[in-house]
Amino acid sequence: MTSKSTPTVVIDHCSKWYGNVIGINDVSLAIDGGVTGILGPNGAGKSTLFKLLMGRLKPSGGSVRLFGIDPWESTSPYRRVGYVSETEKLYDWMTGHDFVSTLARLHGMTREEASARAEHVLEFVGLSDVQHKEIGKYSKGMRQRIKIAHALVHDPDLIILDEPLHGCDPIARTSIMSVIRDLGAQGKTVLVSSHILDEIERITEQIVILHNGRLLALGNLHAIRDLLDKHPHRILIKTEKPRELASSFIIEDPVYGVRFSGEGALEILTNDLSAAHSILPRVIVNSGVKINSIENPDDNLESLLKYLVGGDN
Amino acid sequence: MDKQGRGLSETVWTRLDRKAGAITELTVRQLRHRMSTWVVLGVGTLLILMLLAFYVDAVRDGFEPIDNDGDSEDWDGDGYPLGQERKYGTDDWDPMQYPGSGYYVRDGEVHWSDQNRTHSGNQTWIDATGIFSPIWIDEEFQYNRWDDVDFSDLDDCTQNGEFGVDWWISWGDACQQSNGDIALMSVNFRGEGTLRVLEEYYSEWGHFTDQYYVEPEPASNYIDEDDIDWDGNILSSSQGFDDDGDCLRVDWIELDFWFEEDDSNRNGIPCDVVWIIGSDGETIIDIRADENVDEDPDDEKLSGESIHRVFIIAVGKIAFIMILSIFLPLFLALGLVRDETENGTLHYLLSKPIHRGEFIVYRILGYLLIAGSFVLLMSFLMGIFTSLLGPGDSIIRFRDILIWFAIGLTTVLALTAYGAVFNTLGLVSPKYGVYIALIIGVWEFMMAVLTLIGGGSTTIQYASSLSISHWALQLVDSLVLIIWPDTLTMHLMAEAFNLDTGLDVIWSPPAHTLETGNPYVSAIISVVILSLITTLMIFLAQSVFKRREIM
Repeated sequence: MTSKSTPTVVIDHCSKWYGNVIGINDVSLAIDGGVTGILGPNGAGKSTLFKLLMGRLKPSGGSVRLFGIDPWESTSPYRRVGYVSETEKLYDWMTGHDFVSTLARLHGMTREEASARAEHVLEFVGLSDVQHKEIGKYSKGMRQRIKIAHALVHDPDLIILDEPLHGCDPIARTSIMSVIRDLGAQGKTVLVSSHILDEIERITEQIVILHNGRLLALGNLHAIRDLLDKHPHRILIKTEKPRELASSFIIEDPVYGVRFSGEGALEILTNDLSAAHSILPRVIVNSGVKINSIENPDDNLESLLKYLVGGDN
Repeated sequence: MDKQGRGLSETVWTRLDRKAGAITELTVRQLRHRMSTWVVLGVGTLLILMLLAFYVDAVRDGFEPIDNDGDSEDWDGDGYPLGQERKYGTDDWDPMQYPGSGYYVRDGEVHWSDQNRTHSGNQTWIDATGIFSPIWIDEEFQYNRWDDVDFSDLDDCTQNGEFGVDWWISWGDACQQSNGDIALMSVNFRGEGTLRVLEEYYSEWGHFTDQYYVEPEPASNYIDEDDIDWDGNILSSSQGFDDDGDCLRVDWIELDFWFEEDDSNRNGIPCDVVWIIGSDGETIIDIRADENVDEDPDDEKLSGESIHRVFIIAVGKIAFIMILSIFLPLFLALGLVRDETENGTLHYLLSKPIHRGEFIVYRILGYLLIAGSFVLLMSFLMGIFTSLLGPGDSIIRFRDILIWFAIGLTTVLALTAYGAVFNTLGLVSPKYGVYIALIIGVWEFMMAVLTLIGGGSTTIQYASSLSISHWALQLVDSLVLIIWPDTLTMHLMAEAFNLDTGLDVIWSPPAHTLETGNPYVSAIISVVILSLITTLMIFLAQSVFKRREIM
């Protein structure tokens, strides 16, 4: 065990270039305990960061330490790390149980130990009933979960998940999210990357935002979000009577304007998103207008980044 | 995991063993699930079965006695086989000459410098050159079938002056002068009269012996009729007996132009065989036979065994070493690490606490488990068949199984070396590795062919030693000599007695024995070199792979 003073993951002024292309640019981070979301659009450097952590890549500058050890030089940290890569390929001819137990043996488990552990983690990720089917027959969500299962089979202290929700249907998404939350609740250090703000928000509050290889923000998602909420925001309401509804909204305090954006759509402009959302149900019920949908077009990673990048200026 | 419970029983080895087992097993299962594996193994099996079918077919026909010296043929069609004509010293190209046909005996001659240049009589004249005044000429006489003059239809001499001074005729020709004398230029004929030999020319005369009847022998008498006579007495260097008498010649007539020597090994003893024993006092290191001695041995006894060995060694060298051990790794080993990288599945394996270098070793181990067990199975199969079908009185030839096991193991060594080379190529250059591997495959095949045909040549042996196949073939040669020590004797016999068994083509004594001639030395050298190549290649792959960034 590492001493209490050393965080599980320490990234110190780390950079990684692929020729002239920047993967990661002077990132420093220390992560320990709980679930941390690594947020960033495609190409922000999330996978590069993880591959540096997993010793797949050698830093161009700075250093990376897992449990105080350089993962490029030594494989010993992997005893305590579970890694779910972004790769979609699996050994399709293997059964789920085979796959997990075979990889478990690489941790030095006996066949029996590996088999028992595999059954345990497969139950944990909810694949017990299909564990003896070939992976080739698995759905996308099951494939993601089998990848998570193999990473958990040795009960690691640090779990790194690269886009684990990518391409999953909502049910699989929900179950994978609950698995990740459970791991965090067990006190493990979990790093999970995504390019969808909403996904991360449902898993954790602790986030790191990467943009163009740089560390843009880190800390509590709600704190960041509150900052964002104080800035102009749109709520898009789809209704057949937008004008009737507009008159009910324009008199409310958090709303500073309304706009008709096409047939049957009303945009409400606000500087306080949470306040606007709190009055939303009352106003709609009072107006008696039938609503088709409510959307927050600005409540996504792109707006957050736009805000953060703009705020830097 | 029960961290306390493991404790003592847990050693580094058992942990390593588990990792090795897991990756090896994964590799085996992975290869088993690939179509190309089965195609390659299927083609390999077909190749071996086809060769086996050839062998079974050959064995079913039995080992036909071979006329090794070709003396059962009757080339001139006079009814007497060559072997019988040789015994009587008659010419097998001339139907006029045959055993009992009578032969010419010289009575006298005129040399180019002799004073007396005339001779009269009723004679057979040979090489007669001059003027002959005939009393009688045998127009039917034929000395040989090519250069006889037709005396029943002689041309007239047309030139004026004196023959041999003023004019000439061509060699082997004759013409009749107006006075009835005949001008001759080296002509053979029979007749009565006076010959005046030209100045500075030669002529001779003699008579033919009486004809008598010799029963023509059947051609089969001249097949396997001169067996190798060796009494096993290693102290005596002169051995062998000319059973069919074609060297000793029961009835010596003349010196034949192609058998002038009856002591071609020049030991002073005609028609014998010299067996030279090595310094160990046991091994025969050379055989020097006089011509036509022990030259047509019992094929069932000797050639049968040689041909059987030739088949085993040829299949072992060509099918196992040159084809299987190059092609199996080309298909199975090239992508051992490369394919995992390209598929992205490498991430699962490398996120486990396993060194990349270790990983390569276990992958090759997995490949060997498939390719190696296939090769061993095939060689075992061949061993069973040849040991049951081979010549000899025993039901099972145990040495055959040993030989096949040796060939199988050598092939596994070659498979390991090639596997390591091709895996490294796939790893170092994922894009062009396959082309480089193909070039290396062709090179290895060519070097193997050179090693095979280069047999005794040291230059070729050293040039072709820049290949894996060379050392694998050397190892086979060495192991053959260790398991069948008398192969060397057979090889020497084939050379000494012109036996057409193919043994000298397919097998030669190992070259790299450090001048000791000891097959154990060359076997050890070959194994060391093959293992060294494997180790070096794995080491190269490891150091490349360790430093490689995986996307």
